[in-house]
Amino acid sequence: MKSLDRRNFMKLSAASGVVLASGGVDSQPALAGSITFAKGGRDFSPLTGKERTAIPTACWQCVTRDSLIGFVENGRLVKIEGHPDSIRTNGVICAKGQAGINQVYFPDRILYPLRRVGKRGEHKWKRITWDEALDEIAERLKPLLDAGTPEKLMYHYGRNKASQAAVTYDFLRAFGTGTIGNHTSICEGGKWTSQELMWGGHYDNWDFDKTDFVLIFGSNMNATHTNHIPVSQRLIEAHVGRKVPVYVFDVRLTDTAGHADEWIPINVGKDGLVALSMVNVIMEEGLYKKDLFKFMKVSADRKASVDDKIAAVKAQVAKFTPELAEQESMVPADKIRDLARQFAQAKTGVVVSYRGTIAHQHGSDQERAMMLLAAVTGNVNSPGGRCQGVGASWKAPSSKVGQKSGGKIRSLDINDGFPGQVAYPTHHVSNQVLKMIKDGRNGRPDVYIWSCYNPVYVNGEMNENREIMKDESIMPFLVSVNIVYDESSSLADIIIPDVTYLERWDWEDMVAPNQIAEYYFRQPVVKPLGESRDIGDMWIGLAKRLGIELAWTSKEDFVRQSCEMTPGVKEAGGFEYMKQKGVWHDENAEPDYYGFKTKIPTEALAADGVIFDEATGVYWNWQKSKAKSEAEAKEVGYQNTPKSYKGYVGQEIDGAVYRGFKPDKVNKSGFLEFYSELMKAKGMPVFPTYTPVPEHEAMSPDELNLTTYKVGVHTHSRTSHCKWLSEIYHDNPGWMNPKTAADRGLKDGDKIRVYNEVGEITTHVHVTEGIIPGVIAISYHVGREHSGRYGSGNPSPVPGVVDDDPDFKNKWWDKHGVHPNTIILSTPDQISGQQRWMDSVVRVEKA
Amino acid sequence: MAEMAAARSNVYGLLATVFRAEPSAALLAGLKAPEFADVLGSLDLSLGEDFRDAPCEKLVDDLAIEFTRLFIGPGPHISPHESANIEHGNAMEATLWGPETVTVKTFIEGTGLEYDDSFTDMPDHISAELEFMQRLAAKEAETWAEPNEQLATNIQAIERRFLDEHLARWVFPFCEKVIERSELPFYRKFAEVTKGFLRYEGETLQARIAEAGNGKANPD
Repeated sequence: MKSLDRRNFMKLSAASGVVLASGGVDSQPALAGSITFAKGGRDFSPLTGKERTAIPTACWQCVTRDSLIGFVENGRLVKIEGHPDSIRTNGVICAKGQAGINQVYFPDRILYPLRRVGKRGEHKWKRITWDEALDEIAERLKPLLDAGTPEKLMYHYGRNKASQAAVTYDFLRAFGTGTIGNHTSICEGGKWTSQELMWGGHYDNWDFDKTDFVLIFGSNMNATHTNHIPVSQRLIEAHVGRKVPVYVFDVRLTDTAGHADEWIPINVGKDGLVALSMVNVIMEEGLYKKDLFKFMKVSADRKASVDDKIAAVKAQVAKFTPELAEQESMVPADKIRDLARQFAQAKTGVVVSYRGTIAHQHGSDQERAMMLLAAVTGNVNSPGGRCQGVGASWKAPSSKVGQKSGGKIRSLDINDGFPGQVAYPTHHVSNQVLKMIKDGRNGRPDVYIWSCYNPVYVNGEMNENREIMKDESIMPFLVSVNIVYDESSSLADIIIPDVTYLERWDWEDMVAPNQIAEYYFRQPVVKPLGESRDIGDMWIGLAKRLGIELAWTSKEDFVRQSCEMTPGVKEAGGFEYMKQKGVWHDENAEPDYYGFKTKIPTEALAADGVIFDEATGVYWNWQKSKAKSEAEAKEVGYQNTPKSYKGYVGQEIDGAVYRGFKPDKVNKSGFLEFYSELMKAKGMPVFPTYTPVPEHEAMSPDELNLTTYKVGVHTHSRTSHCKWLSEIYHDNPGWMNPKTAADRGLKDGDKIRVYNEVGEITTHVHVTEGIIPGVIAISYHVGREHSGRYGSGNPSPVPGVVDDDPDFKNKWWDKHGVHPNTIILSTPDQISGQQRWMDSVVRVEKA
Repeated sequence: MAEMAAARSNVYGLLATVFRAEPSAALLAGLKAPEFADVLGSLDLSLGEDFRDAPCEKLVDDLAIEFTRLFIGPGPHISPHESANIEHGNAMEATLWGPETVTVKTFIEGTGLEYDDSFTDMPDHISAELEFMQRLAAKEAETWAEPNEQLATNIQAIERRFLDEHLARWVFPFCEKVIERSELPFYRKFAEVTKGFLRYEGETLQARIAEAGNGKANPD
C-alpha cells in the first residue's frame, strides 16, 4: 500500500464518509450515549476503583462440584477459592477448581452460535444469530412432534447434574422424548448396578472421619475421586492425624498408594478375588462380626438363621484361599491373611473400590465381593464404615409431560446396548450408543443434541465414532452445545455457545462425606461472555417455537422457584439467602447410620395396595408397579412384576418388618443381597465369585494388558483447553515395568508403537517400578485433535496455520500426548454395561 | 482542524464497521461503488475483480464465512480483542477479558459513553476501540466548530493517549496476522488500510497537538 499523506488521506476519508452516509453502517454500534467531558465523566481511579466482590458459587470441573467463592474485580473474575462455610469441602478446592478461570477466558472459546457450511469435519463455519439457530433446530423438531415421533430427538449428556439436569429433563419430558443418553457406563456405572443389586440405591461414601482401618482397591482417591476433595482430605486427616492404617491395592503406584502405609501391587482384574480370599480368612478364623448377617441374604433361604448364613458365606468363599489369590493376583497369601485379620479386628473399617476394580468383564461382581468384605466385618451404613451416599433433596418445578404426544414419553431403545448384551443396564450402556445408531435396528435419532459431552473422544474406538458421526445418512442433524471446539463439535451442524459454569445458575446436591446433606448453589460470578447462554434458556427458546409450555421462564427462574419450594432452604430465606451464602445445611441433622434397622409402622403395612410377597418377604404396594390388578401382582410376584421396587415398603425378617436396604431400579428384596435371584435369573453368578477376564486369559506372551487412569489436574475431556492445567500435565507416556520393557528391548524415553486390532498410537515409554509387569498404562486426558490451542497444540483446526498470539508464546511445552481411546475397545461388562476400560490387549514395539 | 477531525472520524467509523461484524449487502454496495473503489485503487489496495464483479449476495456469504473463520472460530482464530493480543510477562494475563479489557472499558466509560446493551462482544473488541476514536474525533470536530479550542485540544490529548496506550500497542501485529491468514482480499486490504491509517495518525496527531498548543489552531 502507498503511504498515506494528507491528500490521499482526505480522499479516503471522503469516500469513507460516503459509505457511512449511504447506509453502509447498518450494524449495531458498540457505544451508546454521548461524550460528556463538560460534566467530568465518570471517575475510575486505578487505586480505589478495584473493589473485589466475593460471590459464592460452585465448581463443575469434575462431578465433585465443590462450593466456591469467585472474586471479581471490575467485572473480571480474578481468583477462585473454596467456600469456607461448606461442610462438604471445608473450604478446600483442587487445582482444577482454581483453573476454572481458564474456562471463562480461554482465547479459543466459542462465543456465538455457528452453522456448518462445509462438509462435516471441514472446519468451515458461519456465525448465525440465536434466533436463526433456534429456528433451525425447531424446524427439525417440529416434524417429529407432528409425526408423533418425539423419540427421534435424542439428547446425550456427559456431565449433567442437579438443576442443570432437571431443566433439561423437564423440557425433554414435555417434548415427549425419553431418548436421553448419559455417560455413566464410561464412568462407574458398573459399580452402581452392583450396588443396586445389593443395597438398593447407588453411590457409597466412606466414613473416614470415624474409621479405624482403610483398604483401597483400584482407586486413586487422593487425586481423582468422584467426590475428591470432600473424601480425600478426610482420608488424609485420618491417616496423618489419627494414624489410621491405609493399604492400597493397585496396578500402579498412584498418589494414593504412594502416601499409604503400603502399596500392594496386584494383577489386573484380581481385586474381587483378593477381597473374597480375605472374606475366606475372616470366615475361617471366626473374625466376622455377626451384626449385619440378620439383614443379609446369602442363600436361597430368606428365613435362614444367622448361624446358617454364616455357614453359607463360609461355604461360598471356601474355594477362594489366599494361596489361590496369590497365584492369580501376585498378592502374597501371608499379606492377605495379615490384612484380613487386621481389618476384621479393627473397631471400624472401610473398603474402598472404584474403576480399577469394576471396569472389567464381571467388574460388577468384583464390587459385590468388596461389599461382602465390608458386610462380614459389620462395616455397612455404620459409623466409620462404607455408607450409602447422602445428598440434598431439592424440590423443583415441573412442566406437563408429553404436551404434543398425549402425555406419553416415547424412547428409542438404543441406550441399553444390543439385545441380550447386558443383564442389568440400570445406568445404560452409553458406550454402545453410537454402535446402536450405526446398526439401526432399533431406530435412529433424526436430531442428536449433546452438551458437556464429547462422544467421539470419550468412548473407545475413536476412529469408528468419528466415522459414524460424520455420516449424514445415519446421523442427519447434529447440535453441539459447547464452549470449545473439540473432536465432536467439529462434526456438528449447529454449535450452540454454552455458558461456563461460572456464568450460570444452579442448585447443587453432591453427596456428603459426613452423612449430612448439604444444599448448595451456583450463580454467575460474571456476565456470560459474548452470546453464550445457559442450556436451560436454549430449551426455553425451543419450547416457545414449538408451542410447549414450561413451568419456568429461565434457568434463573427455575433455580429461584426451587429455592422457594425446598424445605429448609425456603425457611432459611430461599433464593436470596442462597445468593448471599451459597450453602445451607440443617444444623440439627444427625449423620444417617443404620437406617436399615428402622422398623416399619404397622399402619404402613395396612395401607391401600400394600401386599406381602412370601417368596421374598417384601411388603410392597402393587399400585405403584406396572401390575394391572392385585390378583396379577400376587400371581406374578414381587420379583417378576415390572417396577415392583417402586412400591417397596419393607422387609420381613424374623417376624418384624424393617426398612431394610430399600431397592432402586431393580426388584431386589430389602435384604443386603449377596445371594441374588436377579443375577441367577440372567445366568450370572448368584453369589460373588471370581471370573477371570477372558481376553486376559487368552493373552500370548508378547501381548500386554492396556490399563488407563486419570490424573489429578484434568477431567476426562473438558479441561485440556485450560492452560494452567495443560501446563502441568500435557503428555502421557506409557508406564511400563523394567522387566516388561527389557523383554521388548525398550529403555526409558524410547518411542513406542502401541497397537491392536482397532488401531494404533505412538507415544514414548516411561520405565518405572511403579507399575506391575505385563501391563502398559496410559492416561486418557490428552492427545487432543482439537480443544483449543492448549489442548491440541494446534493454533488452528486447519493445518498449516502459524500462530504468534502472545498467549501462545507463553506455551513452553511441545508435547500433547496421545489418546488411548483409539485402541481401547468399546465393550460393555455383561452384568452392567460398564465400559471395560482395563481389559484391552495390545502389543508394544519400538517405533 | 475541524475538517481534519471530521475526516479522521469518517475513517475510524468505516474501519469500526468493517471489523464489527460480517459485512452487510448495504456496506458491500457502498464499498463496490466507484468512489470508494477508486480511492482504494489509488492506494494500491484494490479489493480485486472478484470483489467488483461478484453479486452482493455471494459476497455477503463468502465474507461471512471468512469473518467467522478469521475472528470467531470455532477453535483457534485471530482474537480481535486487545487483551488477547498484548504480550505479558505473566502467562496468566494474555486472555479474553484480561486487564486491558478493564482498562479500555474504564477509559471509554470515563468519557461518559456506555456500551450499548445490544453489544455482545468484549469491551476491548477492535471495533469498539475504533468506534471510540470515531466518537472522539467527531466530538473534536464539533468542539473546534463551536469554537472551544481548549476542550478541542484536550480531546486531541485524549485521542493521543488512547492511540498510544491501546490501539497502537496491538492493532499493527493484529493486522499482520489478518494479512497473513486472509483467504480473500477483503480483510487483507482493510488490514492494510487500518495499518496505514493508524501509522498516519501516529505521525500527524502529535504535530496537530503541537500546532494547537502553539496557538496556530484554526477552527476552519
